[in-house]
Amino acid sequence: MITIKKLSKVFRTEELETRALSEISLTINQGDFVSIMGPSGSGKSTLLNIIGLLDSASDGSYELLGQEMVGLKEKLKSQARKENIGFIFQNFNLIDELSVFDNIELPLIYNNVPASERKNRVNEIAKILGIAHRLKHYPQQLSGGQQQRVAVARALINNPKIILADEPTGNLDSKNGNEVMELLTDLHASGSTILMVTHSDYDASFSQKTILMKDGMILSEKVNHRNVDVLVNSKN
Amino acid sequence: MLKNWINIFVYQIKNNKLFTALNVLGLSIGIAGLIFAILYWNDEKSYDQWNPNKESVFLVANQMDATTYWASSSAPIGASIKEVSPEVESFCYVNGNYDNEIIRYNDKKIQSQNVLVAQQNFFDYFPYPFIEGSAKKGLIDGNSICLSEDLAKQLFGDEPAFGKKIILQNQVVVVRGVYQLDKKSIFNPSCVVNFMDLRIKNSIQQWGNFQYILLLKLKNPAQADFVTKSLAKVYYENMTLPRAEDQGMKPEEYIKKFGQVIPHLEALGTIRLHTKTGGLIESNGNYQLLMIIVGLSVLILALSIVNYINSATANAVKRAKEVGVRKIIGASKSNIIQQFIFETAIISIISILISLVIVELSLPYYNVFLEKKLVIQSNQFYLQLSAIFVILVVAAGIFPAVYVSNFEVLKVLRGNFARSKSGVWLRNGMLIFQFAVASFFIIGSYIVHQQINHMNSRDLGFKGNQVLNISYRNVYGEKISNNFRMNKYEQIKNELHRIKGVQQVAGGGFVLGYGAKSVISYHHKDINIDGNNVPVDFGVLEMMDVKLAKGRFLSPEYSQDTINSMLINETALKLLNEKDPIGKKINWDSKEAIIVGVVKDFNIGNPGEPIPPITIFHFKSVPWFSNLLNNIYVKADPTTMQQTIADIEKVWSRKVDSNYPFTFDFVDKEYARSYQNYVKQRNLFSLLNIFVIVIALIGLFALASFSIERRMKEIAIRKTLGAETNVLLKELCKQYIVFSIIGFLIALLPAYYLLNKWLENFAYRIGISVYPFLIGFTILLALTLAVVLSRAYQATKVDVLKYLKYE
Repeated sequence: MITIKKLSKVFRTEELETRALSEISLTINQGDFVSIMGPSGSGKSTLLNIIGLLDSASDGSYELLGQEMVGLKEKLKSQARKENIGFIFQNFNLIDELSVFDNIELPLIYNNVPASERKNRVNEIAKILGIAHRLKHYPQQLSGGQQQRVAVARALINNPKIILADEPTGNLDSKNGNEVMELLTDLHASGSTILMVTHSDYDASFSQKTILMKDGMILSEKVNHRNVDVLVNSKN
Repeated sequence: MLKNWINIFVYQIKNNKLFTALNVLGLSIGIAGLIFAILYWNDEKSYDQWNPNKESVFLVANQMDATTYWASSSAPIGASIKEVSPEVESFCYVNGNYDNEIIRYNDKKIQSQNVLVAQQNFFDYFPYPFIEGSAKKGLIDGNSICLSEDLAKQLFGDEPAFGKKIILQNQVVVVRGVYQLDKKSIFNPSCVVNFMDLRIKNSIQQWGNFQYILLLKLKNPAQADFVTKSLAKVYYENMTLPRAEDQGMKPEEYIKKFGQVIPHLEALGTIRLHTKTGGLIESNGNYQLLMIIVGLSVLILALSIVNYINSATANAVKRAKEVGVRKIIGASKSNIIQQFIFETAIISIISILISLVIVELSLPYYNVFLEKKLVIQSNQFYLQLSAIFVILVVAAGIFPAVYVSNFEVLKVLRGNFARSKSGVWLRNGMLIFQFAVASFFIIGSYIVHQQINHMNSRDLGFKGNQVLNISYRNVYGEKISNNFRMNKYEQIKNELHRIKGVQQVAGGGFVLGYGAKSVISYHHKDINIDGNNVPVDFGVLEMMDVKLAKGRFLSPEYSQDTINSMLINETALKLLNEKDPIGKKINWDSKEAIIVGVVKDFNIGNPGEPIPPITIFHFKSVPWFSNLLNNIYVKADPTTMQQTIADIEKVWSRKVDSNYPFTFDFVDKEYARSYQNYVKQRNLFSLLNIFVIVIALIGLFALASFSIERRMKEIAIRKTLGAETNVLLKELCKQYIVFSIIGFLIALLPAYYLLNKWLENFAYRIGISVYPFLIGFTILLALTLAVVLSRAYQATKVDVLKYLKYE
């Protein structure tokens, strides 16, 4: 699904040249749940942003669904992004001025989905995520966990091929954090492809594979075996 | 504390260079506009204010019909009202125009354009300071003259003028005083000669001959109403009653049919700006123009203040943290208010200084526009400037200051405040106000343009592009007969005819664009017609390409054409209500005239005025018309025009008039000058229009920038979710388009009402169509979109990550 070869990202200022990513290669297959870990400045967020087409690479190759993304025009990137990718952020990034319903509906609007269908799909996903009773509220009126559920709903509404989560539990207490992780696990179980950046070993343990990064390079990849522990942990 | 304030202020300016500059610029333009208005206002209001008689001297203004007021009165009125009304202390007749005369002293000849003929008590009414002789004895008898200081210097140099004998209009007069013209006055004569006493004596029986300005001095100004009533009684007894008797009618019947003259009194201090008459000797103040300038400049200043408030409150959100910290470490609300008012005060001072520079630099153009000599001076002006400063600080400073001081500390410090919505409704409201003002100006400007174009393109009924109008100084004097005058004119005509390139020559007693010089009313079948007299020589109308509607022009082939043939225009014909006017006999000024032709209407006055009914006679048909012969029209070959004019001048100065300079003008150019006023108003409106639009756009630009900045995160999120640029642009522009529509709707009615009012000045006016509004709306929308889109487009191009991550 995602094939990255020798991908580099260089930030240049007048005096300084920083290599955020240096010649990274990585493959993510359909149905994978991969987490990226590493200290601050290791380039994990940069990698996620490039995969999410929010940022562009300096060098190398990034193929999404067999199509080369490096050097693509902004308009086509935007197209690829809205059709294939769902985002979940640490700080939710909901629009405060819009209600929960309107927030979730946005990606559908940008994908030209007709209004009646939009309404059904928003209601459906809200029910699945347990926020159906909150649709008329505004983000500021919800708890952090609820806000992140809204963000997840918004990420999923369009049935994206891949979900990118950037420290999805970073702004949440452990209870709400757990709920979100369970949500992601469930999604994975139902076939979604997920790429997650996280600081927490605990969160990473929910994924199949953990990639450890440092100084713009991949240090190690390891496969996790924790699928059975989900129920136990959820009772913490 | 002050240093701290200044430091922060300087920091803010450095970090907001563009918006500070725009703000200051907007305010400066606004203030400059107001200063211009104030200078004009001060100047107009200062006329005659020095005169101790400004309240006790009154002009007798005579209302001839519903809308016509004359500044002139007939000779017997003054003495009669003094006799019947003890409230009147004295009266003074003054000539209705300055004479342009040559004054001789020994071998010296000085031409003076502002010779005023008045009665002996003129200086009692207008007590100019005397440097020689005295006001009291200045015009003691019929051969007394008083000179202005300037004229005395020209004539006598440094010698004393008192007692010198000079020659004016072939008459020896003695200088009995020299006065200074150093104050703004409704009269500014170069010299005043007392020929008026004699003229009044000679026409003391002529009740109906309204030819001189009559001023009354009352013992008590409060009794003006009483005197007006007495005047009305005098008019009734001496004018209405005898006329009714002449017609064999009862007076009530006569009044009903032909109306009567109704007297009014206008105090000296109010004449210049508020008179209902056409004005005294010099041109009136243009009260309407004054009000337009004052009104519009206040509007522009309001606009720039609104800009400032908007920008200040929007900017204040950015400074919320500073305010929060200040409050936590102990600043009270009033401390904060003081600090922000202090900042406004500095901005105001800078703006005022810049505006003074703007005014100083553009004052010469403004003076040309107003035909004035305004200067930035006088204590009154500096006082007003201080008032502007105070108003500015209060209006522009207090609101943002209070707004900022009300920030809640906790909210501010918790962050997220920069995106709060507080104050948004107010900013949007003000933006709508600006849109409304801008719409008003765009629409108004367009309508004014349309009207001026309408006047320019109107068929004037004549063509004057190769016709010269030469000013002719006719000969006057007690011993000069009408025949003598006509013979002299015939000689000149023959001389001119001999010049190469001259095709036609004919005299006229009128100047196109400036109306007829005299009006004589006549009755026809109980219809009263106030005919404007146009004395002509044969061929002058044909020369100007005036068209014939019925009958024929006057021609030397018909002997009766120099006796009693009369032409009228279509307007007169309409009033006469005659199907077949040719050959109809009219009783005109106790003379039987026969209508031989009807000319198509042509503009004798400026195109703003309605075309009056016109009576046309040959000079010889009405002997006293020869007095009115002041223009000789010459049609010349356009290919040799320059040479012909030079030749005419040579002949003119040698054979016609060696004393006075040769002055001429092309008829069409002279005519165009008669409505310069309105052209100027259009230019003024266009200029202000640019100011207003620039200020409004500055405001919009600032506001759009702030509001888009506030929405950057939202834009970033939308982009992440797949919004395309044009979708985002639409989203960002939507609200501004809504505001501009609301603003436009608000401006609709005032624009329609006020412009309609302005158009009422014109006899031939355009209707207000839907186009100005359509075009105004289109322009407003286009400008709004241009500004907002430029900002929005930039916004959609920014790096999303910056706002998603570090918010």
